[in-house]
Amino acid sequence: MPVSDISYRKRFLTKDNVYLPHLVMIEKIIDETPDTRTFHFNFKDKGLREEFPFKSGQFGEYSIFGIGEAPFCISSSPTRYDRLEFTVRRVGSLTNALHRLSVGAEIGFRGPYGNGFPLDLLEDKNLVFVAGGIGLAPLRSLIWNVIDNRDKYKNIDIIYGARSPADLCFKYDLKNWDKDKSINMVTTVDKGDKTWKGRVGFVPQVLEEVAPSADNAVAIACGPPIMIRFTFPVLAKLGFTPEQMITTLEKRMKCGIGKCGRCNIGNLYVCRDGPVFTYAQIKDFISDEY
Amino acid sequence: MTNREAEQRLRDEAKSLLESAKVDYIVGFADGSLKFHTTPLITRNKDDVDHLVINPFMASNLAKFLTELEGRVGIVAKGCDSRSIVSLVQDNKVSREKVVIVGIPCRGMINLSKIEQLAGKESDEIDDITRQGDKVVVKLDGSEKEIPVKEVLFDHCLACELPTPKEYDLLIDEPIPATPDEEASQAKINKLEELSHHERWRFWQNEFSRCIRCYACRNVCPACYCQRCFVEEAEPQWILSIPKWQDNLIFQIIRNIHLAGRCTDCGECERACPVNIPLRSLSKEMYDLVGELFRFKSGMEIDAAPLLTHYELEEAEDFFR
Amino acid sequence: MNQKISKKDISKLLDELGKEFKVFSPSRESGVTTFAEWDGRDSSFLEWYRNTVISPKAQLQPLYEKMFSFHKDKEGYHLELPPPTDKKLIFGIRPCDAKALMIIDKTFQDTYQDPYYLDKRKNTLLVGLGCTNPYDSCFCTSLGLSPTQSSDVDLMLTDIGDEFLIEAVTDRGIKLIKKTSYLKEATKTDKSKAEEARRQASSKVTRRLDTKDLAKRLLSSFDDQDFWEKVSNKCISCGICTLLCPTCYCFDISDELVKKEGSRFRSGDSCAFPVYTKMPMENPRLEKWRRVRQKVCHKYEFYPMSFEVIACSGCGRCIRLCPVNWDITQILASLPVKVKA
Repeated sequence: MPVSDISYRKRFLTKDNVYLPHLVMIEKIIDETPDTRTFHFNFKDKGLREEFPFKSGQFGEYSIFGIGEAPFCISSSPTRYDRLEFTVRRVGSLTNALHRLSVGAEIGFRGPYGNGFPLDLLEDKNLVFVAGGIGLAPLRSLIWNVIDNRDKYKNIDIIYGARSPADLCFKYDLKNWDKDKSINMVTTVDKGDKTWKGRVGFVPQVLEEVAPSADNAVAIACGPPIMIRFTFPVLAKLGFTPEQMITTLEKRMKCGIGKCGRCNIGNLYVCRDGPVFTYAQIKDFISDEY
Repeated sequence: MTNREAEQRLRDEAKSLLESAKVDYIVGFADGSLKFHTTPLITRNKDDVDHLVINPFMASNLAKFLTELEGRVGIVAKGCDSRSIVSLVQDNKVSREKVVIVGIPCRGMINLSKIEQLAGKESDEIDDITRQGDKVVVKLDGSEKEIPVKEVLFDHCLACELPTPKEYDLLIDEPIPATPDEEASQAKINKLEELSHHERWRFWQNEFSRCIRCYACRNVCPACYCQRCFVEEAEPQWILSIPKWQDNLIFQIIRNIHLAGRCTDCGECERACPVNIPLRSLSKEMYDLVGELFRFKSGMEIDAAPLLTHYELEEAEDFFR
Repeated sequence: MNQKISKKDISKLLDELGKEFKVFSPSRESGVTTFAEWDGRDSSFLEWYRNTVISPKAQLQPLYEKMFSFHKDKEGYHLELPPPTDKKLIFGIRPCDAKALMIIDKTFQDTYQDPYYLDKRKNTLLVGLGCTNPYDSCFCTSLGLSPTQSSDVDLMLTDIGDEFLIEAVTDRGIKLIKKTSYLKEATKTDKSKAEEARRQASSKVTRRLDTKDLAKRLLSSFDDQDFWEKVSNKCISCGICTLLCPTCYCFDISDELVKKEGSRFRSGDSCAFPVYTKMPMENPRLEKWRRVRQKVCHKYEFYPMSFEVIACSGCGRCIRLCPVNWDITQILASLPVKVKA
């Protein structure tokens, strides 16, 4: 799904300079887990929100001036006009600096980049979402997008797991999706604790137990690479063809626009030609370095 | 032995080391793809050892590869290389039993840039360079020029204290005694010491403005074996990844401090630099400082303790109680 | 009609051009050949006949450049772009370096326009100088180039003894000739001298690279780990080949902060470094053979797949300056000949 037409995004460049960020302000901070936070943000120039076009699965390059820039997916849905969100796990100098921000702080934002999920391929299909840990963030944007256009899609299965109950992200969303009668919400943890009364098991195992039908279905998976490596064979066993499996890949990125060279897999750039790929495309990749 | 005979002996020994399975790899020098260059040969194949050579252009320090190869290694070592190997053994980075040191007594390596300057031509335009005793004969454009060998050897070769490895398993040729000429070796550095502090600062600002942060100086050095170099740290960030001259200078200073007591003055850092920064002027200064303050020269004795990472319960100095 | 100029008049020509452009010419600093601003210095570079250590690509994509600066006051952050670039003229660029600029143009123009590079490129005139004494590490002829002719410059100069033959290649070149003094009309003998010089120069390029089916051969050997390990075992993973290569363009973006002000910079980066692809939890190119494979395949397989041109112009710097004499032409020649069906 390579990017062909970005003319609509060209209107969104600051001073015609593709590297110059917009200024955005942090409006709300939610602690998801001990090391993960979701930030609600909005453009300093409120008029920009009207023009800001993005698709579920796209990402932005967020800057803390003086420390650096890093890519994070936009975890809110484009159908929810009142908010823009991104979710960050604390692993290094920039993410630690992001976690030290308070409401009202100003950061930079460049985007939206990437190809996003192909909504047209999902219409009238049964959707199976498989996510692990913070991998739920890009899928969350898509899930709310689908829910807000519910009659365009058929059944929805969501299988989500984390290392422990405390590591489950978006607990408030999990509750909402559980209450929704048109969604089959399955939550699991690798290891329970004293208060956990739900399922225990790795996501690929639970997926095999739930065994959603592959008939007229599309599976969208996102999570740590090791989870994805075990999820694809399970989906294949359940009858999903490579074209019916979609995922988003993660690589170290800097420019986000296919120029600095580091996120390549063969001749494709994950920032520009991805990060969303079908398993059929991944199987055809020249290189296994992802 | 002539060079030819020594080469043949080396090839025979290397072949028998591989055939008798005493080693998994042979590491030595082969002819490079450019004139008057050699290239490291790292092979498990006994037929490849016929490419091993001995000539005055084997400047690389092969000890670098010991920290990367897994298995037993038969390594061709000049005197300076053997010092680096000993230093690695003292640091516990390389196990002595896993290395077979094939010693090559060395008369010094020819510095191609010095020849290029004296001949006024670049190395690919020169027809031949041969060493004849204490003279080097340079053939170019049909004429021959004789240059005293001391004018074209590397600066670090002029100061060499160990031409023949002290620690070895095999010695390919007759030992060569050390004849260091400290003054000739220090000529470039002494010029710097004559400058005022202000002038020296300007000198280094000018030199390090050319630095492109290729890290060749760090990567050729056998003593730089850290898995994660301090330049790659982000928390805290010691130096910027932007090649500003201040950060380039600090990088070399910190690198030299990290190498204090382990640098053997092999001169590879200065040879590898693509933009001719006189890095040895800094590293030799550190080397001499260590020699002066601690009376220690790295890599000379296999049983010596490493200088800055060794602790005794009994205090050596009597002003501490 | 072609023009020519006497070598003795080149200094005056450069001084005259210096009134309209910032002129850059080959120069030598501490034994390192590079391109630097012309300020009436000696024109001995005319006697060098071969390319420099630091390619003129550094004038368009410098070692480090400021992308924008920022400062914070009570209203928040303010971002300022750097001032627009001056008009430049690079005098004495070799055909390999000029072709290299054309090669990396494709990346910087693709999909998103890179303002910093393209702005400089638009404002830079190239006056090419043919190499009549190439290095033994040069292999430009194997990549469809000639050491003395180029379609990627505005003006091309060929050495015909005491003079240079001048040919205009672009409209900008024609305009430049029209407003320049010191030029004379070239004669038929001048032109035949130039052709003879070109023939001799091309015959001096002896190093060869077989580019037939190169991308296919690399594709079929992509998973051959034994081959890549053997070929990469002496590489020391420094950045010399990539940072000095005129067709390499990978960069890093980092910030500098001093109190409440700072700037975002772009600086050179290399796929040879392990941290290039390092992520917090894993590194897809931890092993050295993967990085060497990436460098070779990117230049000779992936770039042609995207842009139909090999990302190499045969300048030979990677071979000449490598501390361990790793040679790309030898590596590619030793590729197994099997081509999978």
